[in-house]
Amino acid sequence: MDWSIIIDNLASYRSGFFITLQLVSISLFIGLLMAIPLAVIRTSKNHFVTAPVRAFVYFFRGTPLLVQLYLIYHGLPIALKFILNFYGFDESQNLNEALKDTIALKYMWEFFKEAYFCALVAFTLNTCAYTTEIIRGAIEGTPFGEIEAAVSCGMSKLKMMRRIILPSAFRRALPSYGNEVIFMLHGSAIASIITIEDLTGVARIINSKYASPYEAFIAAGILYLCLTFILVGGFKLLEKKWFAHLRRD
Amino acid sequence: MVNLEYFSFIIDYLPIFFEGAIVTINVAVCSLVFAVSLGILGALAKLSKSRILNYIAQIYTTVIRGIPDLVLMLLIYFGGQKLVNLMTTAMDIGYVDINPFIAGFLTIGFIFGAYMAETFRGAFLAVDKGQLEAGFAYGMSKAQVFFKIMFPQMARHALPGLGNNWLVLVKSTALVSIIGLDDMVRKANIAGGSTQKPFAFYFLVAIVFLVLTSISIFILGKLERKYSIGVRKV
Amino acid sequence: MKSALSVEGLYKSFGNLEVLSGVSLTANRGDVIAILGSSGSGKSTFLRCLNLLETPNKGKIVVCGEEILMKTNKRGENLPQDIKQVERIRTKLSMVFQQFNLWSHMNILENVIEAPVSVLKVPKKEAIEKAKMYLNKVGIYDKLNSYPAHLSGGQQQRAAIARALAMEPEVMLFDEATSALDPELVGEVLQVMKDLVDEGRTMLVVTHEMGFARDVSSEVIFLHQGKIEEQGDPKVVFDNPSSERFKQFLSS
Repeated sequence: MDWSIIIDNLASYRSGFFITLQLVSISLFIGLLMAIPLAVIRTSKNHFVTAPVRAFVYFFRGTPLLVQLYLIYHGLPIALKFILNFYGFDESQNLNEALKDTIALKYMWEFFKEAYFCALVAFTLNTCAYTTEIIRGAIEGTPFGEIEAAVSCGMSKLKMMRRIILPSAFRRALPSYGNEVIFMLHGSAIASIITIEDLTGVARIINSKYASPYEAFIAAGILYLCLTFILVGGFKLLEKKWFAHLRRD
Repeated sequence: MVNLEYFSFIIDYLPIFFEGAIVTINVAVCSLVFAVSLGILGALAKLSKSRILNYIAQIYTTVIRGIPDLVLMLLIYFGGQKLVNLMTTAMDIGYVDINPFIAGFLTIGFIFGAYMAETFRGAFLAVDKGQLEAGFAYGMSKAQVFFKIMFPQMARHALPGLGNNWLVLVKSTALVSIIGLDDMVRKANIAGGSTQKPFAFYFLVAIVFLVLTSISIFILGKLERKYSIGVRKV
Repeated sequence: MKSALSVEGLYKSFGNLEVLSGVSLTANRGDVIAILGSSGSGKSTFLRCLNLLETPNKGKIVVCGEEILMKTNKRGENLPQDIKQVERIRTKLSMVFQQFNLWSHMNILENVIEAPVSVLKVPKKEAIEKAKMYLNKVGIYDKLNSYPAHLSGGQQQRAAIARALAMEPEVMLFDEATSALDPELVGEVLQVMKDLVDEGRTMLVVTHEMGFARDVSSEVIFLHQGKIEEQGDPKVVFDNPSSERFKQFLSS
């Protein structure tokens, strides 16, 4: 082991670490926000309502994250071009030229075709699908008597969902969601494949620069390991706090 | 935008593509066999009375499950190659390439062995101790009790967790494309590059993965019903 | 006097099985009606139809002079016309369940103030004051910060009664409130129920506690196969049952 390689590149590792953290936390946050209404819709008895959600979840849980990332990386520009065409921009026109006057649109276009944005979209949709399933399971695990008690108090469906079902479902979902967070942290490593310089990306660059795979990847591995431990510990603490209502002492 | 002509060129690539699909399935099955073997060994080590074995197994499962698959794969692939190079230079043999297929399934098997070890540990613990005592009481040897009573019962308990691991494993095989193995994803990579229509090929890959997982879920469901044991979600 | 609750010709079936075949009943203010019957007689279903936890197939339910409006849909199913009306009426009928059904993620105080605050829109401070009063009344004031899982069955059921009281209901419905309790815990819950009777509350009590029915209720109803077999003053019907089936039921 040549420690100097790691020490010389500490700044790179740090920036990669924060890009990983940023990618994962943003996608987890948005994914969770989207998953809550989707999970509620998924528990509906109406098959027409649940079908799109089921299809979405089925697709994103049944295919590798890497393939999803490729699909979005290559599909997003096509979709964006289609939208731009729809709004009257010609395909033969140079888009940068055409968008010269509309600064806001131009920046949006630049941002949307960025690898970073594609990774964000792929990760968000992926974690959203898994989280939807987790929350759905937790909602369906609500003790039926607690629902009847709410109904017999005259609560409306919406109020019952908001005050009784979801709060207790979130608690039940916590252990599985903890696994999902760690799964996402590890999954985010593939962002490096579309040239994003996250923690893994940085390690890959260092490996090819110095031809020293051990130093490059072990350093990254240790950082991931630390993050994993912190997350596992954090979720244990949360569970302790949130499961006070179930612990018998 | 999407019309049939857009997809017609895919037909030319179908034979190559399905070669890749076969590679994907091969990698997955080989990885599974390796992972199950490692998993059972890991579980036995965790449950053994030897402190040293406990520690080794604990470090194995904790470290592997704390690091992304991709990082481990790159470490094993590039690190292994470097090791081989060092050895060939020392022994004065010519350059030897690491076979990406072997590197791929060994890495995936090694990673999933850690998850399997947890599954099997739980399954071993779930076997009713009274059943084992009954075996001993009728004069069976330790080995007989293990192979005739413990193992078959453990296998039933392990089935749901094993199934879940398999579903994740199949998807993880996509990563071997990165270390240069010609699996389905890499074929799509190449075909997408030469036709300038990568989206269509990746979409095809996604569908094949959906079919693979759907078939797996179907078969696992049948198996679980056959061995009817309460579904334990992992 | 306007009745607190009246039911006319209530029918309910599950699939081909008819559980209630035309049950009628009137509860005036202050009445305590004990509903008896062997298991499968439909007594719990009857109670659950009153607040539409089960939707009756036919029949008229009037709560405090307001009839629950029903309609028939295309498939011939009986449904409430206006779910808002049902929700409003449910706040007047508080139910106490066999399995307590306290909300497990809330502590006892939160359980008691939840519906008054979120459904009746009582200001939180006022709801807490009232909750404390009711928890005191049922004797578990000291447990108000505990979670349901930390309490004994008897304490949980008393908390559930406090939750029902906090709605300040017109009629209280007790669905076998002591059946899930260990024998030594039954007494504490029955005592709370007796105190409520002494306050003059209107109660419908599905129960297996013959002593409670005989000593405390103002009227006894015996259900058999979805029909009322015996009905009347407890002093009369217990000593001189007119129905053969009720006689058998009492002797068993």
